[in-house]
Amino acid sequence: MIKSIFFTLITLVFFYIIWINNIFAPHERYEMPAQYAKIAEDVKSYAKEGKQLFEQNCQACHSVRYDGVYISSVQANPKLQTLQEKYGKVLPRDVYESVFYEDLMGLKESFGKVPPDLSTIYLVKGKEYLYAFTLEPQKVLPGTSMPPVMTGRPEETAKIVAYLKSVAEPSPEEKSKRVLMGVGTIAYLIVMGVLLWIYKGRLLKRMGLH
Amino acid sequence: MLSRIGRWIDERAHLSELWQSQMVDYKVPKNLTFPYAFGVMAIVAFAIQIISGIFLTMYYQPNIHTAFDSANYTIMKEVPFMWLVRHVHAAGANFFLAIVYLHIFTGIYYNAYKKPRELTWIVGWVIYFVLLVTALTGYLLPWGQLSYWGMVVTAEIPTSIDSAPIIGSLKIGETISILMKGGYEIGQVTIGRFFGLHIWLLPLILLALVSFHLYLVRAAGISNPEGREIDKKKEGVPFHPYITLKEGAYLMGYLAVFFFFVFFYMHHFLPADNYDPADPFKTPAHIAPEWYLLAYYTIFRSIPDKFLGFVAFNLTLVFLLILPLLDFSPIKSARNRPLFFIMFIVLVISSMALTILGTMPPTPTNAMLGLIFTAGLFSFFIALPIISIIEWGWYKAKGGEKQ
Ligand code: HEC
Ligand code: HEM
Repeated sequence: MIKSIFFTLITLVFFYIIWINNIFAPHERYEMPAQYAKIAEDVKSYAKEGKQLFEQNCQACHSVRYDGVYISSVQANPKLQTLQEKYGKVLPRDVYESVFYEDLMGLKESFGKVPPDLSTIYLVKGKEYLYAFTLEPQKVLPGTSMPPVMTGRPEETAKIVAYLKSVAEPSPEEKSKRVLMGVGTIAYLIVMGVLLWIYKGRLLKRMGLH
Repeated sequence: MLSRIGRWIDERAHLSELWQSQMVDYKVPKNLTFPYAFGVMAIVAFAIQIISGIFLTMYYQPNIHTAFDSANYTIMKEVPFMWLVRHVHAAGANFFLAIVYLHIFTGIYYNAYKKPRELTWIVGWVIYFVLLVTALTGYLLPWGQLSYWGMVVTAEIPTSIDSAPIIGSLKIGETISILMKGGYEIGQVTIGRFFGLHIWLLPLILLALVSFHLYLVRAAGISNPEGREIDKKKEGVPFHPYITLKEGAYLMGYLAVFFFFVFFYMHHFLPADNYDPADPFKTPAHIAPEWYLLAYYTIFRSIPDKFLGFVAFNLTLVFLLILPLLDFSPIKSARNRPLFFIMFIVLVISSMALTILGTMPPTPTNAMLGLIFTAGLFSFFIALPIISIIEWGWYKAKGGEKQ
């Protein structure tokens, strides 16, 4: 008995550390004031406004391909529409990069690299990093070629982060559907497990195998 | 009507006889403990990988320009419910390996690798090895930063053979490395090959091996926690319904935990950095292999000499394979073997510690700890022949076979 408890506990602790919360591995943390964190979280109210702010402040350099948003010079190019009719709103990356090669190389010449597409950046970096970096690029990533475009506009920055979140993550309605599905699936499995267990006990008693 | 169709088929296929002889008349010990269910869970985990994998191939594109978007846009956003399939496949791979590890440790604990089950153990080891390669090849497919750089680091490992004194000049390591990558760098050739290996060749090999493994389990009879062979006619309980219902209930519990992760906790199985598309010009800050390889990785990097490190972590794999030879004691099951039990605990703690150390930065202290736990791991294997000799003495003193 004591052995079973020991092995169960050590296994659970091990997987907790490895899969859920690794207290030994290094973590980076970035600061974000609570009131702005709330804005960045609230996709429903701010994503739309965030998208407009993105178009005004970031689109000159960055695309959000998964939302069909391309850098401004591409957006103004009539070729884009023809291609989108053929391939859909989200152009295949190789098509996009070869047709608009000159636009992208122009940016590369000015900044040393093509500014990254921001479709999934929210999932990679999280809201705190995005907020801190966009507000003060040099402070977070010394030597970066991204200019500070949002200096002194924390609230608008948070709204842009809300927009990036809305592109990267499933929508709030979709999320609550998934929660429902998950709870349903898990409840079903637990109920089935318990029923099987009870049925087993009864059957074995009848067979005299207990 | 349905039952008549059933009877029609049965008269021709004799399926109910097969069921009776293989599931009902087949007897197993009554005292099987919970860890014996890991075998069944592993089969289910395998089935889950195959089914979810087949659906993924419908939308995934093995092409360096489109792979990332096919996984993260087409699969995750565009096609309904494919996000679920990807979550199941990615979490499933991790659960599969976790279950296989638990299954291996159970086998070690109850000494299920001893006569007459040596071949079952060896085939199981090959399954484990092929499974590691399957997971490794699959991890490259989404073509994120971790996929790419994880493979860069992995493909570097064989080159440490080339720092050996004499054989080093043959450049065997570099040849292996180039073979793995399909060229000097990881690119279209690599992703194409890995795709073929991952979805066809390796799963088919696994399927054959798993079938043979199951056949062997049947042929040799299931082991017993008490470490003695039972008389199957007298002592056993019918496999169906006794084991099917009991392990069926465990299985539901396992799936409940699995689906908890699938729906609510994917950030370890689809890690953040892998949402960044692969970029050969941008090295990410932390590159480490997946958790199921970390113990080997820590052994490799704790030993200062690269070649020795390479030998040491391969030796661990070899020791696991030849466990039936190292442990030749006639006594079975840790329940009857106090010395073995102590060394088993050393083994468990060392392997867990090595895995956790693999997630930590390579400071000198951590390298030192890595060496200590490597020694712990090896002490388990080295102690086995010694324990066996001592136990032969006890066995003889107690009257040997008669006992
Ligand atoms: C004048 C061009 C330009 C504008 C405008 C611009 N960026 Fe950037 N951005 C860059 C460049 C260049 C990089 C690459 C920097 C590097 O990797 O050092 C970059 C990188 C980034 C990154 C990635 C940082 C990382 O750690 O990899 C994020 C996030 C980002 N920008 C967000 C934004 C947001 C949000 C806006 C709008 C408020 C914006 N950028 C406006 C040029 C720009
Ligand atoms: C046998 C055990 C298997 C294991 C351990 C395994 C493991 C993995 C892993 C770890 C990934 C990366 C997941 C991610 O990060 O998204 C992956 C991806 C993939 N696997 Fe498998 N797999 C297995 C079987 C299969 C089979 C049988 C198929 C197809 C018939 C398959 C098809 C795919 C495809 C298409 C991808 C790429 C899509 C994606 O990245 O999500 N897998 N696999």
